[in-house]
Amino acid sequence: MTSITSEPNSGTVRRVPDQTPPRRRSRVPKAPYAFVLPAVFLFVFSIAIPILYTAYLSLRTVKVEGLGLGPGARTEVWAGLENYAGTLTDRDFLSSVLRVLGYGLVVIPVMLGLALLFALLLDSVRVRARRFSRLVIFMPYAVPAVISSLLWGFLYLPAVSPFTYAADQVGVTLPQPMAPGLVLFGIANIAVWGGVGFNMIVLYTALRSIPTELYEAARIDGCSEVQIAWRIKVPIVIPSLIMTSVFGMITTLQVFAEPTVLRPLTNNISTSWSPLMMIYRDAFTRNDIYSASATSVVLAVATFVLSFGFLRLVQNRAFAQENR
Amino acid sequence: MSTATLPDRTTGTSGTARQRPSFVGTGLLVVGAVYCLVPVVWVFMASTKSSSELFSTFTYAPSGNLFSNISDLSSYRDGLFWRWMVNTALYAGVGAGLSTVVSAMAGYAMAKFRFPGRGVLFNVLLAGVLVPGVVLAVPQYLLFAKLGLTNTYWAVLLPSLISPYGIYLARIYVSAAVPDEVIEAARTDGAKDLRVFSSIVMPMMVPGLVTIFLFQFVAIWNNFMLPFVMLGDDKLFPVTVGLSGLLNQGSQQPAMYTLVITGALLSILPLLALFLLLQRFWQVDLAAGAVKS
Amino acid sequence: MRRSLRGSLVTLAVSALLLSACGGSSDSDSASGDEAVKPGEKVELNFWSWAPEMDKTVEAWNDTHPDIHVTVNKQDGGDTAVTKLLTAIKAGSGAPDLMQAEYQALPTLVGSGALADIKDDIGDDVQGHFAEGVWSAVTLGTDAVYAVPQDSAPLMFFYRADVFEKYDIDVPTTWDEYAAAAKKIHDEDSKQFLGTFSSNDAGLFAGLTQQAGASWWGIDGDAWSVAIDSDASKKVASFWGGLVEDGVIDNTPMYTPAWNSALNKGTQVGWVSAVWAPGVLAGNAGDTAGKWKVAPLPQWNAGENVTGAWGGSSTAVTSQSKHKAAAAQFAAWLNTSAEGVKALATVSNVYPADQQNSAAALTESPEFFENQDDFYDVAASVAGTVNSFTYGPNTNVAYSAFNDAFGKAAQSKKASSFTEALATMQSQTVEDLKSNGFTVK
Repeated sequence: MTSITSEPNSGTVRRVPDQTPPRRRSRVPKAPYAFVLPAVFLFVFSIAIPILYTAYLSLRTVKVEGLGLGPGARTEVWAGLENYAGTLTDRDFLSSVLRVLGYGLVVIPVMLGLALLFALLLDSVRVRARRFSRLVIFMPYAVPAVISSLLWGFLYLPAVSPFTYAADQVGVTLPQPMAPGLVLFGIANIAVWGGVGFNMIVLYTALRSIPTELYEAARIDGCSEVQIAWRIKVPIVIPSLIMTSVFGMITTLQVFAEPTVLRPLTNNISTSWSPLMMIYRDAFTRNDIYSASATSVVLAVATFVLSFGFLRLVQNRAFAQENR
Repeated sequence: MSTATLPDRTTGTSGTARQRPSFVGTGLLVVGAVYCLVPVVWVFMASTKSSSELFSTFTYAPSGNLFSNISDLSSYRDGLFWRWMVNTALYAGVGAGLSTVVSAMAGYAMAKFRFPGRGVLFNVLLAGVLVPGVVLAVPQYLLFAKLGLTNTYWAVLLPSLISPYGIYLARIYVSAAVPDEVIEAARTDGAKDLRVFSSIVMPMMVPGLVTIFLFQFVAIWNNFMLPFVMLGDDKLFPVTVGLSGLLNQGSQQPAMYTLVITGALLSILPLLALFLLLQRFWQVDLAAGAVKS
Repeated sequence: MRRSLRGSLVTLAVSALLLSACGGSSDSDSASGDEAVKPGEKVELNFWSWAPEMDKTVEAWNDTHPDIHVTVNKQDGGDTAVTKLLTAIKAGSGAPDLMQAEYQALPTLVGSGALADIKDDIGDDVQGHFAEGVWSAVTLGTDAVYAVPQDSAPLMFFYRADVFEKYDIDVPTTWDEYAAAAKKIHDEDSKQFLGTFSSNDAGLFAGLTQQAGASWWGIDGDAWSVAIDSDASKKVASFWGGLVEDGVIDNTPMYTPAWNSALNKGTQVGWVSAVWAPGVLAGNAGDTAGKWKVAPLPQWNAGENVTGAWGGSSTAVTSQSKHKAAAAQFAAWLNTSAEGVKALATVSNVYPADQQNSAAALTESPEFFENQDDFYDVAASVAGTVNSFTYGPNTNVAYSAFNDAFGKAAQSKKASSFTEALATMQSQTVEDLKSNGFTVK
């Protein structure tokens, strides 16, 4: 925002400015439509149609005749809102939603707190080893969740964990990250590990766009580095923090890979631990694509409602200079 | 490190007093770095072990079997692993490349043109961020099966080309990095829209394009469900699906942990190299949309 | 412009939706027809399988059958191949010609119209190769034949002979003796366990209740019955729950790095498993080669000789195959010819279900059990004693209910919660059948 808002909003490129009178409608340019066409086509093909199809499936169900063994014994019929009623009254679903919300309350503050801390440290002239740390903290972003969960799984299992081994040597008992009460934190740790670097980069980029003169002035006024960070830098990156929270929230509600990979290793992760795991179980293990579709729609709507306010806010900020 | 795009603030005019290193700050940052290294170092160590050492010796103690593990992995079903690596490079590389162009075009149109439907279109595209891949995989499969495209490269490539997030970033980058005056000047010189885009706009937003490319590259490489559902022939698998198959052998066979761990290491390495190479472009300003140049 | 763009988008979306929504049934009808093969034309068959080295096993067929070429696509083990097949069936295309299918998946696959009836395409002599119980698993008690049995997996008891010798314990022949042995071993060394109760392996638990006389599903005229919480199952659940409660066996899942490590380090010294266990042990605990032995499964009543099964699979022809006759011919060859059975046993390392050829194919003990010459004699002696068991049309639902319910029970370490978990499984399975419109008695 800082670097662009100063630009005059000339509007010269825009062939049809806001105040265009209706009579000039016929001169709507073709070029922008040509530019968005590939994206629109791919969106319709890969996202919109599958979503509509999911919505359609969520209203269907299968009915069986007799033993359901002969050919044609199963027929697809309309179910109305039956599947939705099933989803919304399913205790497993409701508890998975609550569990994931709790998980989000752990992951998002910890991940963004660490990301902000590291970003501020990277931005501080007095801190050493910045180049190395920046690279290393960002590195987990390159590791797919399927692989990182497998690696952490090895580190979590007491029988093969180096931490348990080391603790045993000195006679200490460590809490087990896959024990019943702690497994949520074990999963959260994997998400934090994978996400902190990316968010750090986002916040660091925002910090670098602050004019240095601001600090110089603050320093002359006698502010310490910590005071500068807290009073000047943090307020300035708040828009970025809001944005990262939104995306963090969306990913959190969609947590799937980490608990799925860890599940076979422990008794403490059920097949409906997160809403998405439940959707996966219904669609793939139980072959009930109809309930899974209804649950998907409910989850998507919930995600939308939660992040809608944020999205609007962000859009207003990010594109203020275009929309004026 | 970031000299090409960012002036390094350390070499600024600050007085010596403020240059005094902060031990607390450095300590915190190094602790963070070590935390991020823990599993990565583990996978290095584990891939040097034979399968019985993997489960019997101290986790962080290295052994000397790295090369025999690599050769075991390479000989598994006539080098199938390397085929998976090539497939992954194809899905993620080609997919991310084309996706970047598509995103850039859409982002450019939405940042620099006013046209009826722009707001609605942008909101609808952006709402695509909300839809998880797991949910889309089955309907996408059913749709692709109608078109006879399942179990082909297209089945994984086509859905990877659209990136709502990439379009969002592209719009930010274009409005930040490409001044209206430049486009107007080109037009006055008589350049056509496509030419303005390809020879003026694209070069000016290179750092942004690299970010979108890497972003989508990681997204495709992370998307397990799509190839898992779409592909039946293991010669078409990307490396994540292939390795997961070695792990999930069902109850009648042992999981091939040594191969999976060695494979995990080998598959992360190229991506780390790519990151090292392109990291100076990595700046993502989500809120302000400011890329300084 | 604005209106027309929006209008065309909606039209495009809706028409594609209709296309995808309504195509299903008509497609599968046309796909089920068998296309005549012209003389001299080469038939290409796709075979989804997860057995190791199946492509090498199939080479023998390809070498001798120039007009029918079989290509193996290796799949993940367990449920995933079934899932993929069902999705392909739903979509109307994308299924292979042949599919390795576990017995417990057959009712689900048949009910979804995924498998072809190959009764008329295989020879009449095929049935004679298999034990009656195995054969009924592929006919589901109907007149049709939905698959050719490939391997069977009778449960046996695997134990560390050296540990039993060290503590001077006799090999248990009854479950009471097993419990006593488990206690003795754990008392001698608190880190050692004679086994674990794994909430990840519904198939093993089903096999154990099968030995005790349970059959989780049953057919009663036109209705299904569900007896997951029968007395026989309860007996098994409270037996294992008691062992877990006493802490004499472990409660962590199998097939994890921790379990591998325990086998390798010798802290897991026994395993109730099926005949395919040597392959798993060799892969996970290579260091303990030559230290294990196998015995028949402990019995509930002394002197009895019955067992259950864990796994075992068949070769089925899918309803989308365009060359059903050729595919059925291959399935029969693979599982009943001397050459096919030998390759299955020696190359793909499975225990063939065929009774006529397997003795000739299995002459030497598995390498991992070279200390025990009579490995396959023990296996052959129990293979015929598998109790009958009926799988239901929603075995997958019952199995995933097992994962969750018994996961909690194993963690709580209370015998009472094991039988409660059984009740949970029962009610979830019945509920699912009813909600799908099955008649349940």
